[in-house]
Amino acid sequence: MNGLLKLISGEIRRLVRYKILPVSLATTVLWVVLLWFLSPAEAVQIAPLLIFVDAAVMAILLLGASHHLEKQEGTIRSMMVMPVTPGQILAAKTVASMILALESAVVTSAALFFIHSVAFNYGILLVFVAAAAVSHAAIGFVLSLRSRDFTTMLAALLGYMFVFTIPSVLFSLGAIDSKYEWLLMLSPSHAASHLISSAVKGEYSAAKAAIGCLYLAALSVVLFKQVVCPAFKANAVKG
Amino acid sequence: MGVAFQVKDLRFRYPSSGADTIKGISFEVREGEIFGLLGPSGAGKSTTQKILVKLLDDYQGSVAYLGRDLRSLGTEYYEEIGVGFEMPVHFSKLTALENMRFFAGFYKQTADIEGLMQRVGLWEYRNMKVGEYSKGMKVRLNFVRAMLNKPRVLFLDEVTNGLDPKNARIIKDMIAEYRAQGGTVFLTTHLMNDVEQLCDRVAFCVDGRLVEISSPRDLKLKYGRREVKVEYRDNGSLAAASFPLDGIGFNEEFQRLLQTKEVETIHSGETSMEEIFIIVTGVEVR
Repeated sequence: MNGLLKLISGEIRRLVRYKILPVSLATTVLWVVLLWFLSPAEAVQIAPLLIFVDAAVMAILLLGASHHLEKQEGTIRSMMVMPVTPGQILAAKTVASMILALESAVVTSAALFFIHSVAFNYGILLVFVAAAAVSHAAIGFVLSLRSRDFTTMLAALLGYMFVFTIPSVLFSLGAIDSKYEWLLMLSPSHAASHLISSAVKGEYSAAKAAIGCLYLAALSVVLFKQVVCPAFKANAVKG
Repeated sequence: MGVAFQVKDLRFRYPSSGADTIKGISFEVREGEIFGLLGPSGAGKSTTQKILVKLLDDYQGSVAYLGRDLRSLGTEYYEEIGVGFEMPVHFSKLTALENMRFFAGFYKQTADIEGLMQRVGLWEYRNMKVGEYSKGMKVRLNFVRAMLNKPRVLFLDEVTNGLDPKNARIIKDMIAEYRAQGGTVFLTTHLMNDVEQLCDRVAFCVDGRLVEISSPRDLKLKYGRREVKVEYRDNGSLAAASFPLDGIGFNEEFQRLLQTKEVETIHSGETSMEEIFIIVTGVEVR
């Protein structure tokens, strides 16, 4: 456990030193400025999308960037010969990714409250954001581990977004009929988007929320156990 | 002297490869010795080292570390070994000292970071980001990284590659001191100078097989020419003659040459490790 805490502390320090956390904060400030110019109703509509983008798409992007950079630096190989397990290294990176998503959710929620006096159940939002961030970190690892470099990882991310994220955005814009939402829930992006949106808007369907959470949790477990963990060590050794 | 590693009939095949990279090698590394694994690129040296540092698991045969099956050892094994990679392995946007403190934080016992960095000449650059380091500085920092946990066994891959002679000397002195204090070193390199100066025993790996294991001295005796070569001045011009080493003290021609000519150099026909490498592996040294 001690090793895991040290790994997490190292990840957080590097988030700052590699300017990932400051850039993420600056992006969130842009969201705040955007919310400032919107009406309360418009802000409640758009805020879940902003939180979702940070928790899902940005999580994959930043994880891919840091994975390929660390591979180039050889630091993953160096960590593999420390008295920690590959699982602990992966867990620390996932926690770092979750911290970025939670930071965005906290700042956006604070902006909604202080600018538009919009309040909701923050605890539920944070649980949903954490579930979205962990599952998308797993997806980010899968895409990174199967890509030769960051450029091919970006191409893979675009492919993922085309299949899983764009239909969800089209649904939120009303371009896809609501009767197809159960089908859309198979998309990790839509499951995450639905959970975050329901928390911010305070419109829960207990069944959908439970299924969404269970689905993202199960997806995370399966991806980490069956794909990410076995490939991570082999990928690090290959250098 | 005990045995640090006992390797028996080791075989390994990468999943993407159609043939074994390691084809049934057996050797032992004794405690307190510097063991060199030599061979041309692609011979299987790095794969063997990756197996010994537990980066590759799916091998056949057996590897025992101090009598214990390597497969049965967990992360505690990394408390006992230090690994020096050939390529840089540091966070480029952190300073050298931040890197060392980060890695040192995971071990139960740690070496004196300042002392190690002083010794390799990096202490005054400790607050510089590693990304701004030269190649030689990164190589020296790799060595410090390997020594951070006061390891019982040190794995070094091309440890002086890219270093100037002065810094290479410092690193080699540190390795010799480490051995003198009881440490065991597993060295993979293609720099024959390092081998001659450091290794107690060497193994030559060719195409996944070990073709020779011996001490550098015995290899020189085995592959060397038993002769003495003399260069001398003869009527102002340079001349050379060779004499069999056996019975040299009674060789009259040799005695006469020493007494009558102006001798410039005398060498026994020692074969260099570089020549032995070429003879044994059939490959030119890079």
